[in-house]
This record gives sequence, structure tokens and C-alpha cells, in this order.
Amino acid sequence: MLEIKDLNVAYGHARVLHDVSLKVETGQMAFFIGRNGAGKTTLLKTIIGLLKPQKGSITYQGDEISNLSPEELYQRGLRYVAQEKKVFGNLTVRENIEIAAFAAQEPLGQALDKVISLYPKLESFLKTKAGQLSGGQRQILLVGRALVGDPKFLLIDEPTQGLAAIVIGEIEKILSGLKDRVSAVIVEQNLAMVNRLADRVYILKEGKVAREIIDKSEIADTRGLEEYL
Amino acid sequence: MIYTIVYGFTIGAILYFISIGLSLTFGTMRVINFAHTLTYTIGVYALITLIALLKGYFALVAGLAILLVIPISYVIERFVIRRLYGESLDYTFIATFAISLIGVDAIKWIWGVNPYPMNDPIGKYLVFSGLSVPIYRIVIVLIAILLFFGLNLFFKKTIVGKIVVASLEDKEGVRCLGINVDKYFSIVFVLGSALAALGGVLYAPISSIHPYMGLSILLLSFAVVIVGGMGNLNGTFFSAFALGMVMAVTARYWSQGAETMVFIVMAIVLIFKPIDI
Ligand SMILES: Nc1ncnc2c1ncn2[C@@H]1O[C@H](COP(=O)(O)OP(=O)(O)O)[C@@H](O)[C@H]1O
Ligand SMILES: [Mg+2]
Repeated sequence: MLEIKDLNVAYGHARVLHDVSLKVETGQMAFFIGRNGAGKTTLLKTIIGLLKPQKGSITYQGDEISNLSPEELYQRGLRYVAQEKKVFGNLTVRENIEIAAFAAQEPLGQALDKVISLYPKLESFLKTKAGQLSGGQRQILLVGRALVGDPKFLLIDEPTQGLAAIVIGEIEKILSGLKDRVSAVIVEQNLAMVNRLADRVYILKEGKVAREIIDKSEIADTRGLEEYL
Repeated sequence: MIYTIVYGFTIGAILYFISIGLSLTFGTMRVINFAHTLTYTIGVYALITLIALLKGYFALVAGLAILLVIPISYVIERFVIRRLYGESLDYTFIATFAISLIGVDAIKWIWGVNPYPMNDPIGKYLVFSGLSVPIYRIVIVLIAILLFFGLNLFFKKTIVGKIVVASLEDKEGVRCLGINVDKYFSIVFVLGSALAALGGVLYAPISSIHPYMGLSILLLSFAVVIVGGMGNLNGTFFSAFALGMVMAVTARYWSQGAETMVFIVMAIVLIFKPIDI
């Protein structure tokens, strides 16, 4: 479904990704782990079209997409949830979903139902300014917003970073509910969660893929992976 | 004193009309638009040209002058401003300043440099307890207040307004929802230019009309936007009226110091609340 070959990405002269290659089959969830500064966020931003690669190819459903804009990639079913948990804070939760529904040309009621079914407690916050939500609630709203329309491929950057254990559980539940319905590339440092959800694991180290783990039994055994965090 | 207050409210209203576009353009596109008050001046010259043909129909002519500014501002946005997205602020400054100089020269070429006099289009006064206040100035202030509520409705209730509010905060987030923000920025730019032209046509009858009128009010508008907060429309409203009042009160005691005082207030605000660009 998504295949990246020899991707090189730089900020000005500082090259951050070096010959990164990866593959995600339809319905798979690929997880990326790696230290701060390894280039995980840069990789997701490049896939979604916010950054242009210097070199290399990104093919999605057989088409080269490395020259497409985020707007065009949205139409093809890609959705990006950024690391900063940046909701539209001056708009209400409902309006955040309304914008997503408008973009996807989906009826608002249907979009609201979709997001609320992920996390029913959100219903009582619909009129709250999204900027006042807790970190966990924002993250759930962002994932919900990304699910409006007909998403085929999710790119999610560190969804559980800085969240309380109980909310991490909620987010894992949401992600596992999405399994087989969509494909995804998820950056995540929580190895226990990677363990349970991943179909593939990539370890990114200093902008290079240090390891690619495809074998299920190998994924289940996270011993030795801590050294990459 | 009543005259000072009325004068302060009028200049406040005019500054508000002009500053909305400046604030929105900076807030959404991160472009400091020195050409912003060109549309204000063009609106005024369109007004004086048309009023010669349609004497006595001030409101109609004012409306036509504003409509005329819409295609002009669209062209400026589409071919210059849009190329400046993401560029450093210096480039946006130089490019828009160039447009503004070209525009002023074009106006001098077409209409000459001599000031045009105009009359108060209503010419009636509201008289109470021995004081008389020009009704025209009251109308200007009322239009500003209506506009304030109208814009609040627009940004709170319409999807276009909500998308602009979202883009002010997180442009990439909006793009990643598949929304072409450029289209909405275009709408915002044209709206802001049309409102500047509204300020121009309303102010023209009670101020002096000359090719540089836009440049002189531009700096005051920048002060309004800085004091009110870039991209903060309600802040712009209150800061426009506050600074208008500062000008009026200063002018009462020290007429040359009116504009200086605005920049002193701006400097004080900047000391306590530096802008981060
Ligand atoms: N906008 C930027 N300009 C310059 N360098 C950047 C920028 N964003 C990230 N970097 C650098 O790129 C490297 C990878 O960053 P990032 O992709 O955010 O890593 P990760 O998400 O794995 O923590 C880091 O060294 C970081 O300093
Ligand atoms: Mg990161």
C-alpha cells in the first residue's frame, strides 16, 4: 500500500533522513521507534507532503506521491495527526469536527457520531473550546478528526506522549479498534503497546533504518529494543 | 469635550475599518502588507470620480467605489501576496511597499497631486443642550459597531469564518484536513481590502484627500494592530477606539502631538507585551 525507497530529507543543508526505505501492506500498522531527533517526525511530515524529499520515492497505491500536497493526499485518504496535539483551540470541540466534516463532505451528524463513538465522554465537551481540553482529550479529538471522511492511511506521531496511563489505555483501545480497517504508520515509544499492535516495527537511528522487524514472534519480544529509545 | 469624544470615536471607527485587513493578513498569511491602505486610497479616488457623475447619491457611490476595490485587491493577492507566503518578513515588506509606491504614483498620474475638497454628505447636526454634533460622524461610529457584530457573527457562525479562525492558529492542521487554505486567505484579503476602502470612502468627506493619505494612516493602523494583537479582531476594535480617543484628547491640548502619542502608547504596549513573530 505504501512503499518508500531510499528517502533523503534535509532541512537546508542538514540532512536528517538517509536512504530510508519501508513498506506497509494494506491493513497493516507499522510502528516507528527511535530516540528524540532520530527523524521520526520528519519522516511523517515528508509522507504527508509538508516536506519535500531531496531524493527517493514514496509510492502509495502504486502512485508516486512525493510531489503531492497535503490537500491532495487528504483526498487520497491519508490523514496526519501531528505530535504537538494541536487542536483548533479557539474553536469548540464540535467546530473542530465540523471543519473536518466540511473538508470530507460528510454530514456533521455522522462525523460527530463517529468521533463520539471513539470516546463517549467527548459528548459532554462538544461546546467546550478545544483549547481547554486535557492532553488526552485533545489527542482523542485529533484522532477522531482524522477519522472523519473515508481515511485509508493514518500517520500518527507519538499519540501517547506525555499522557496519563489511563488515557494511554483509551488510545490503545481506539487504535486497536482501527486495526484491519485502515493502514497506518505510527510513531510510538511505548513498547508494550507496540508489542500488542504492530504488524511491522522499524527502528530509526540517526536518520537511518537500523532494524526492520517483520516477524510476529520477534515483534512480541521487545527485549533489546529499549536500547534504541 | 463632547467634540473631542465624537472626534475620537470617528477616527477610532476609521482606524478600525482599516486595521481589520492588516491584522487578518498578518495573522493568516504572516505577510506585513504595506500596500494595504492603497485600496483605501483607491476607494477614495473612485469615490470622488463617481460622485462627480452621480451627485447626491453618496451611499450608492460609496458602495460602487468599494466594489471596484474588490477586483484590484484580488489581483494584488493572487499575483503578489500569495507568492510571499512563507517568505521572510523582509521580503513581504519590500514587495508590498513597492506595490504601494507604484499605486501612489499611478494615482498621482491619473488624478494629480492637488487635494480634493469634499463636503459632509449629510450636513445635518444633532443638537442637544446647546451642543451640535454632525450626524455623519455618528453614522460612521454606528457602522463600525455594526461591523464589529457582523464580523463576530461571520467568524463564529460561518464555516468560512471558522476555517479562517482555525488557520490563524494552525495552518498546517487545516491543510492536512484537505482544505486549501490559500482560497480562504484570498477571501480574507479581499474582505480586508474592501473594509479599508469602506474606511476611505467614509473618511474622505471629513478629511483631506491626497495621494499620500493612505501612507499616513497606514502607520497609525499598524499601531492599532500591534496594540490590539495581530490577528485578534476584537482586540483591534477596542484598540482602534482607544487610540482614536488618545489622538482626540492629545489633539485638544497639543494638536501636533496627536499621532506621536499613538506611537508612544504603542511603544509602551510593546515593552510589556513584545510580539513574537
Ligand atoms: N524545522 C527544522 N529545521 C531544522 N532542523 C530540524 C527541523 N525540525 C527538525 N530538525 C532536526 O531534524 C532532526 C530530526 O528531528 P525530528 O524528525 O523531529 O526527530 P524525532 O521526531 O525523531 O524526534 C533533529 O536533529 C532536529 O533537530
Ligand atoms: Mg518527533
